[in-house]
Amino acid sequence: MRSKCQKIEPLVSDYIDGTLSEQQTTDVTSHLRSCWSCKREIADLKKTQHLLKNFYVEPEASDTYYAQFTTQLQKRIEQSAPTALYQRFAAATTRLGWQLLTQVYRYADRFHPSRFIAVRRHAVPYYVLTLAMTMLLATPFLLTQVSMHNNGEDARFPSAGIPSAVALAVQKDKTTTESVGIRRNMNSERATETPAVDSGSDVWKFTNEPMIDGYILTTLHKRSSDTMPSVALDIDSELLAYTEFPSQGAIWARRTSRDVLTEGRYALLLLRGINTGQQALQQYERKRSELKGFSQKLLDVPLEMLSVAAVHDPIEL
Amino acid sequence: MDRTEALLIADLCEGDETALAPLVERYKRMVYRLAVQITKNHADADDVMQETFIKVYRSIHTFRRDAAFETWLYRIAVNEALNFVRRRDRRRECTLETTVETEYEATARHYAQLANDPHTQAEKSELRQYVTEAVNSLSLKHRMVVILHEFEGLTHAEIASILNCSEGTVRSRLHYARKKLRTLLKPYMDAGAI
Repeated sequence: MRSKCQKIEPLVSDYIDGTLSEQQTTDVTSHLRSCWSCKREIADLKKTQHLLKNFYVEPEASDTYYAQFTTQLQKRIEQSAPTALYQRFAAATTRLGWQLLTQVYRYADRFHPSRFIAVRRHAVPYYVLTLAMTMLLATPFLLTQVSMHNNGEDARFPSAGIPSAVALAVQKDKTTTESVGIRRNMNSERATETPAVDSGSDVWKFTNEPMIDGYILTTLHKRSSDTMPSVALDIDSELLAYTEFPSQGAIWARRTSRDVLTEGRYALLLLRGINTGQQALQQYERKRSELKGFSQKLLDVPLEMLSVAAVHDPIEL
Repeated sequence: MDRTEALLIADLCEGDETALAPLVERYKRMVYRLAVQITKNHADADDVMQETFIKVYRSIHTFRRDAAFETWLYRIAVNEALNFVRRRDRRRECTLETTVETEYEATARHYAQLANDPHTQAEKSELRQYVTEAVNSLSLKHRMVVILHEFEGLTHAEIASILNCSEGTVRSRLHYARKKLRTLLKPYMDAGAI
């Protein structure tokens, strides 16, 4: 290969793509006029590119597959809720412990103390040390389990106090007087699938901020089956609110000096501050999964169901 | 309600899960195409797709808004697919202790024999199959560059950013891949198939 050809070689691909500078293009073109070999190579590469562009079959899946894929993905995302830090720590510790024990077991014979030092007659047996190590490593996990048991279902959601109904109240557009109250009974004893219109329910406007809309969606009473917004809130009641502005939850928290758990555009306010920390977060996570697509349902409310009611500011509570 | 991509990304950043579905709808075919071409297997591509979009969902807050979302998504999809192929190949190595010929080499040899066969007069459908298999016969790093440049239409700079290498490396790999393909497709070119 001539030296000129060697110079041209690295430029060939870019020449075919047309991405060379003007000067480089001129250099290559002038070389091709005098070099039959390079000219032929470029012609072949162009033919190759032509074949690739016109005959390569790009893989494609059916619409059925894509539909299934979307459903599966949705399921996986629902399952991949964030795990609590202590749970991750416990899991990691257990994993590490298991790996260490496996290694100890594997090399136990090779590195048994008796091979290197004279073991006293009444020294602690090697397997007792291993057992102690296991216990030590497993402690965080066991503690977690005990903690979860103590704060279990009853503590987080006492069966007698499970919200028996979900009442929604939303003002669709605060520039108009349209609003809607929907009462849906979720109690197993009095289950009604079809939401009933409750035109008498109040619409609770959460904030007086003119630029930010936030609405209480439901009041969850712990000790009462009445879930409609009410001035007389029970102890441990919570407000589940929806906002058009995603970071509004933090603003609410500052303004009300109350515990606020936010997720996207939802916020759960713990009115009496009894449920705090991890316990409340778990409770909120459960509600969040139950309320998936909640905002969309609200937007789908037919206009004929809209009715006007009073507007209250819950900060006054 | 039609939301623009920027709005969808902003909503997803704020934790609105519903914003993911339109993004998946928009890019699922692209990710699938890429995943299949790298893994060469529908089932594996399905796994890669799942992992890619899960990663998008979890890591959207790391996405810099000044960059193109498509390039970011390409990078995730390519990395997921490459990691998947590496893990898969490691498993194969573990299960098959004997040295086996890679499927790329096998395919390349098979089609080189086919092309040398004087009786092989490729119809267009055969030619399609041949060209497709020729691309599949390239090594992973060369196939990646060909797919991203020739079929996805990405620039050298974009590919370099996705593959985390220099533009020079991309150019060099592309050039090598083209020469390799030219050799594989030469019998067809000489036979006047095109």
